[in-house]
Amino acid sequence: MPILGEIAIILGLCLLCEGLAALLPFPFPASVLSLLLLLALLLTGVLKERHIGRVCDFFTRNMAIFFVPACVGLIEHWETLSRVLLPFLIISLLTTPLVYAVTAWTVQLLLGRGRDKEEKP
Amino acid sequence: MIETMLSSPLFGLAISCLAWWAGLWIQKKTGLLLCNPLVVATALIILFLTVFHIPHADYDRGGALISLFLGPATAVLALNIYRQRQLLKAHFLPVLAGCLAGCLTSVGSVLLLCRLMAVEPEIAASLLPKSVTTAIAVAIADSGGGIRSIAATAVIAAGLTGALFSPLFARLFRVTDPIAQGVGIGASSHALGTSRALEIGPLQGAMSSVSLCVCGILTSVLALFL
Repeated sequence: MPILGEIAIILGLCLLCEGLAALLPFPFPASVLSLLLLLALLLTGVLKERHIGRVCDFFTRNMAIFFVPACVGLIEHWETLSRVLLPFLIISLLTTPLVYAVTAWTVQLLLGRGRDKEEKP
Repeated sequence: MIETMLSSPLFGLAISCLAWWAGLWIQKKTGLLLCNPLVVATALIILFLTVFHIPHADYDRGGALISLFLGPATAVLALNIYRQRQLLKAHFLPVLAGCLAGCLTSVGSVLLLCRLMAVEPEIAASLLPKSVTTAIAVAIADSGGGIRSIAATAVIAAGLTGALFSPLFARLFRVTDPIAQGVGIGASSHALGTSRALEIGPLQGAMSSVSLCVCGILTSVLALFL
């Protein structure tokens, strides 16, 4: 697959999902919809890894740069933000580790149980 | 001449890539956690725009082109999930339960803290969806009467916290299982955290991708009842 073919598949899929997301009766992001559709196409074998592999690896290896403009955009919101800065910072800095801990502990606990069962018989 | 250059979308594209390159270099040289390329690049660009009095709108002509690719960059995470499908199938229930616990904790803790600090309801509505990816968060904030820009900022703040400190969280909370680490990152800091999870390992990256999807869907459903 030529690299431009790979790009065409990914961009076409994302474009299709933007259309599909607009049809849905509730707000749902096109990006998550395209992830789910791409996963479905891979699982059903319609698309193979060789059809999209290089583009996918490029994006995942360089993913964080795509957030740079959004982060720079924070300067535009500075005035609104400065009014609620203290509660904003407390909530942001406190809840993120809390969510991480609760989620990871839940998974670890349940995985541990599953593994104990596997080992017993 | 300068004005022509500034009005071109190439300006935003070029300084974003340049700042990112500088960020990578600085991280390699210092090895410091806070010298994350995303943080360094953002700081350098803000500094540059401020020092030379360049309007943000000039930068964003190119910046918007980069943001456009957030969609495809999220979509391609499907391949990472696909590559780990056997492990995911084997541990689907614990992963799902973790995402549900994470969603409830996120929404619950924000509501509780907002009430404790007597934060205005419109700010609370904007902070509520902070753990999910921007597109979902903005939609949820909108339907709850929140402010879009605060919602987007809270999402970035949660993402940056996760991207910077998730290895620290893992040590602090004694999370040793790579699956649990990945699901935790995705649930607390969406795609931005996932970009870091991919650097930690392929399994963490895949699980973080799964969790960002599942948590996004769960939080949208949960928001309908609030």
